[in-house]
Formats: sequence, C-alpha cells, structure tokens
Amino acid sequence: MASGIARGRLAEERKSWRKNHPHGFVAKPETGPDGAVNLMVWHCTIPGKAGTDWEGGFFPLTMHFSEDYPSKPPKCKFPPGFFHPNVYPSGTVCLSILNEDSGWRPAITVKQILVGIQDLLDTPNPADPAQTDGYHLFIQDVVEYKKRVKLQSKQYPPIV
Amino acid sequence: MGGEGEDLEPLFDYHRVQPSNFICIDDDDDDSDVSEVPVKKRSKTSHTVVKKDEDVKVIEVACDDDWLPPPPKVVFDKSKESGEDSTIKALRSKKMELMSFTKTVVDVMQEAEESAKKQARVSLKPSSEATPAQAPPGPINDRAKIVITIQDKSGQKQFRVFADEKFERVFKMYTDKEKLDPQNLVFTFDGDKIDPSTTPSNLEMEDDDMIEVHTKKR
Repeated sequence: MASGIARGRLAEERKSWRKNHPHGFVAKPETGPDGAVNLMVWHCTIPGKAGTDWEGGFFPLTMHFSEDYPSKPPKCKFPPGFFHPNVYPSGTVCLSILNEDSGWRPAITVKQILVGIQDLLDTPNPADPAQTDGYHLFIQDVVEYKKRVKLQSKQYPPIV
Repeated sequence: MGGEGEDLEPLFDYHRVQPSNFICIDDDDDDSDVSEVPVKKRSKTSHTVVKKDEDVKVIEVACDDDWLPPPPKVVFDKSKESGEDSTIKALRSKKMELMSFTKTVVDVMQEAEESAKKQARVSLKPSSEATPAQAPPGPINDRAKIVITIQDKSGQKQFRVFADEKFERVFKMYTDKEKLDPQNLVFTFDGDKIDPSTTPSNLEMEDDDMIEVHTKKR
C-alpha cells in the first residue's frame, strides 16, 4: 500500500509539474536505459536566483523518494563536494522542510522543495552547518566565500 | 362403361390417334370441352413440379393401354410436345420466377453490400476526404491540437499548436509574436533542448505541457 500511495502521489506531482513550474527549473523522473520510468528517483535542476552570486548556475539535484513518501520527505542531493554551508560532503541538503522531525509536511510539493532549496542557496543557515569548508568561509571570509560561490556557478552552466 | 368400353376399344385407339390435342380428354369424351378446364386447372394448380410427373404418368398409362406401339409414338410425341410445352412453359415461368427471385435476392444482397461499402467508405473518409468537404475546421479536428505553455523569465504564454507540427513553426510563431530574435533563444522541455525539427508528439507532450525559453548567454 505504501508504495502505491508514494507512486500515486509522485505521478500527480509529475503531472502538475509538466503543466506549470518555475522558470529554469527541471524535475523529471529517472528513465532507465530500457525507457522505463522510475518515479522514485527524480533528476532536477535548480537555477541560481537572479541578482545573487548563484545566478547563471544550473545546479543538478537528485531527489530520492522512499516508499514512505509523502509521510517522509525525499532525500535531496547535490553532487558530492557541493560548496554550501548546509550541504553535507555527500551532497545531501540539510533543510528544515526536508527534515522528517522538523519542518516536513506531506502536503509539501516537489515544486516547493526545489524553490525552498533555491532560497537556501543564497540564504544559508549558519545555525545548522553541514560542511566545514563552506561554513568556515561563510563565517570568516565573506569575500572568499562569494568568490567560491561565483566560481561554482560557472562550473554548472546551463545545459542548453 | 364396361360394355361400351369393349365395343369402343377400337374407337378408343382412333381417338387416341386423331385427337392429338389431349390424351387426358380421351377418358371424358362428353366433357371434352369441360375437360380442358380441369387440365387447365391442373396446370394452374400444378404450378409445382409434381404436376409434370402426373402428366407423364398419365401418358405412360395410356401407353400401356395401347396395343399399337407405333401410332401412339407420334401421338406421344405430339402429346409430349404439347404436355412438355405446357409443363416446360410452367417450369420456365417458374424458373423465371425463381431466377427473378434469385436475381432480386442477389440484387438486394449486392445493394446491401454496396451500401455497406459506401457506409464504410463514408466512415473512413472523414479522416482524409469527407471532412474537408464538410467544413474547413474538419482537418483541424483530424489533426490533434494541443495547448503548449511557453514560459520565459517574465511570464507564460499559451499557444495552440498541432501535435504533429514541427517546433520550428511553433518557435517562429512565438518569436514573431514576442518580436524576439530566434537566434538568441533556446527552447527546452524537461531541461532538454528542443530540436526544431521534432514535433510535440515526438516528445510525447500532453495538453498544457510547459516548455521554456532561455536567452542564450554570450
């Protein structure tokens, strides 16, 4: 039953996304080599917000949904080593709305998650650090931090 | 009749030879005139094939009665001819009737088939020929149309396009309307650049699906 609920919800999420989503964002279920769609893993792209140091970057993010979704939030991962105070070295995003024991609610949509992560990029939460590199620079050397952010944005140019 | 019959036996033969008209009449000389009616009645009532057999039997009986084989033959021929004529006529008429019946049946069948074929054609035509004649919007109904939302940074616009229409036409429609230079624009669907030579149906797009416009950066 759990998987049925999860897949049903994800099918709805996908349907909704196709019809409307914020500009520059991508979110699509994984497609296997045989063309089979795996609704449990989504490959997404989050654009850096205009007017910030993240602008121009299109950051790849993978969402892993469990059979307990939407009771439990998906695990959202940037590529390993992604530079951000609230991203673990593994790439996993640390965000309150993605925490089952904190801000997650089953009603939160994929769209809201991705927009929430986009917001997080330029507004890191120093109270909840996930990596030393990004955290220390953000606290101690803002100039160097901004330089690193801009550099990373260039590393993820638009795919098209 | 018995005594008379013995005396009349030779006459009987003559009768048979002379009146080549009807053998049946021989039995009823007095009622010769009347007898014709029964015969006619027979022929009338005997529109069935069975009648013929009866006539033939009668003739055969007469043949058995006759002791003079040769003359009867002539009579037989004539009678046969006459009998055959009537029966053949009857048979022919029946045959014609049956033929006409079969023809009508065949015609009806053919008509039914033709009408069915016509109907089939008519039902098939709408996809290609019939509808255009009916009304200009016909072909539009045939070609699936879908609504595509084209989103740029400033907002969304909806376009109604053919599902089998190449995107290059859709893009031109958009750039003309927005007065933009298509050279600087990139259209994407699900994060992938859209090949202008593909169609919405190629990409398995559905109604209200959204594609995005990105401005190329130098």
